[in-house]
Amino acid sequence: MTKTWNDDNEDFWYSGKVTRRRLVGWGGGILGATMLVPAPWRAAFGAEKPFKVGSLQPLTGPAAPGGKTSIVGLQMAVDRINKTGGIHGRPVQLIIEDDESKPDVGRRKAQKLVEEDEVDVSCGGFLSNVCLACMPVWAQNKIVNMISVCLDTTITGSACNKYTFRPFDAAPAQAVAFGPELVKLGKKWHIVYADYSWGQSTRDAYAEGIKKHGGEVVGATGIPIGTADMTPFLSKITGNFDGLFGIFFGKDGVTLGNQAYDLGLTKKYKFAGDGAIAVPSNLPALGNKIEGFYGIDRYIPVFQGPLDNPYNRRFFAEAAKRLKTVAPQAPVPDRYVQSNYEAMNCLKLGMEKSGFTGRKDSNKLIAALEGLHMKLSDDFPQGDKFLRKEDHQAFLTEFIYQIKGGKYHLIEAVPADKTVYPSMCTMPA
Amino acid sequence: MAIPWDLIVVQTVNGIVTGMILALVASGLTLIFGIMDVVNFAHGELFMLGAYIGVLVLASTGSFLLALTTASLVVALIGAALQIVTLRPLIGRDPLTTILATFGASLVLQNYALWQFGPISRKIAEPVSGQFHLLYLEYPWYRLVIAVASAAIIGAFWLFLKFGRYGIWIRATTQDRVMAQAMGIPVPWVHTGVFAIGAAMAAASGVLFGPLVGVEPYMGLPWVLKAFIVVVVGGMGSFGGSIAAAIFVSLLESYASIWVSPSQAIIVSFVVLILTLLFRPTGLFGSASR
Repeated sequence: MTKTWNDDNEDFWYSGKVTRRRLVGWGGGILGATMLVPAPWRAAFGAEKPFKVGSLQPLTGPAAPGGKTSIVGLQMAVDRINKTGGIHGRPVQLIIEDDESKPDVGRRKAQKLVEEDEVDVSCGGFLSNVCLACMPVWAQNKIVNMISVCLDTTITGSACNKYTFRPFDAAPAQAVAFGPELVKLGKKWHIVYADYSWGQSTRDAYAEGIKKHGGEVVGATGIPIGTADMTPFLSKITGNFDGLFGIFFGKDGVTLGNQAYDLGLTKKYKFAGDGAIAVPSNLPALGNKIEGFYGIDRYIPVFQGPLDNPYNRRFFAEAAKRLKTVAPQAPVPDRYVQSNYEAMNCLKLGMEKSGFTGRKDSNKLIAALEGLHMKLSDDFPQGDKFLRKEDHQAFLTEFIYQIKGGKYHLIEAVPADKTVYPSMCTMPA
Repeated sequence: MAIPWDLIVVQTVNGIVTGMILALVASGLTLIFGIMDVVNFAHGELFMLGAYIGVLVLASTGSFLLALTTASLVVALIGAALQIVTLRPLIGRDPLTTILATFGASLVLQNYALWQFGPISRKIAEPVSGQFHLLYLEYPWYRLVIAVASAAIIGAFWLFLKFGRYGIWIRATTQDRVMAQAMGIPVPWVHTGVFAIGAAMAAASGVLFGPLVGVEPYMGLPWVLKAFIVVVVGGMGSFGGSIAAAIFVSLLESYASIWVSPSQAIIVSFVVLILTLLFRPTGLFGSASR
């Protein structure tokens, strides 16, 4: 009789050499041996109970490339904290869960971090729709949630709550900072944006920022995220205006840059946009098509202006070394690495100030974080910043730049106090 | 309300170009379903792998044509290996097992690409640059090149199916697998060959489309989702139907975007899908016997 694949398969299981029982036995043995190996911080901290920090990151799905670099920043901060004595002598244990770039999965994983892992605090979140879906989970369980990438305006606006903090910029702050420069470039703008929560709220913020400085937004085109061929939609953009303003991130930023250039839009109009379009990981795929682009970002990988400081040079060198392990082309640190690194350090500062010992001290931690001032240091290499008490939104220096010769050229560093906008949050009781 | 003729002309060109790229992706998918009854969820990842191989070959040789050919051949071999290792053992089992197998393969390939190539988007430089005036717009020559190249690949494959010895084997196996086997056609190897051809077509479309979007691990997802719609609307397994449906759906979306927002225009393809499933479940061009 001819042997089938299935027969071979059964041979493997029933040959007497590798039985299921033996396999389970070996598995148990390996698991037991693993449990005997001490956790990395044991040598330094002895029996001290670690602070458990839960982090939701997109490790699979469309946002995974950003998630990979985010973890580099987060892990870098945790390693540094543990190396320098932890927080109140206790180590930090990072528990990362993959949200698969989906809000429903993110919410489920947040619940898992709360109930099974019993995390003390949360530090993470990449996609805004995932952050928004998970915020109620952290709030219901009275756990401080330090956002590390999500930019949706409503997070510290209409959807704000006392447990969620954003230690980096928001679109309205960028719009306040960028508005004068945009209106200098041209009075009339057309906005093309990612048609989901972050893109829509950012569009509104820029429309207001441009209008406030005497400019006008004459049209807006929303394109769903993940649209591979934007050309049919970009082809419609025509008329009498001065500049095209893009609000996209990740691969959509690459698609916009390439296809807007191909249609001659970036030659016909001034091309500006959110810094997420021209993050370092997108530049190779954009090539010379992004030449002349004006962007704004909280962090760019340069040593110019306020970013020319020893703390940033140390942060840059360490991050670049670590990034080599996730990307063979040795990229430079971007806004995702920076904000994850600083979000964890912000949490550390708050925990130290409040004498935080665990979840039961969340209110003390919130009180310490509200109005917290962070100074340029190894913890905050991007620069000084402060967390506003009213909406838990941070304000920091914004960097306006232009891409020339494939490199970032700093045009202006707008200080934190020049980026402040009125709070839009009514904190729920 | 005045009819915006200039926009209609531009969107007709856009619809045909996008439709041809989609047709190339969908024809591989429908071919695999038509002959093997396998819904290949890893098709988008074969598209992506093709683009990555294109990046590597282009970087080392500078020849776009060589990149296109090498990517198609290498991914055809990967496709053949994938079929032999994961799908051949599942022949005759519940179709759900093949869906799970190809879905698993897609996850493995996505994460492999992320691990191997990292989170940085790569570029494929287009072989033809420059634009021409299309009414109010500068239109890139390269998009026309993509449409023509896709049509040439599809046309060559159609000729192979119609007149080639192995093409006749494929058609015979599609029509009646048991009878084809009885006539001496090596059906398992025809399956492997067809999967390899489908994979090569996905890879070719990945290389052709790469210059417009950048190459990254998840670039295949949006195309394969649309290709599934096209395959269902055209008739599962109908080669000609898929091509016609690809152009039809792309034109509809392009025209719709003249009057509604892009988010609403994209819904049009789903509406067509639902209407097809409701009123002609075998697809617009599918045979009723399937």
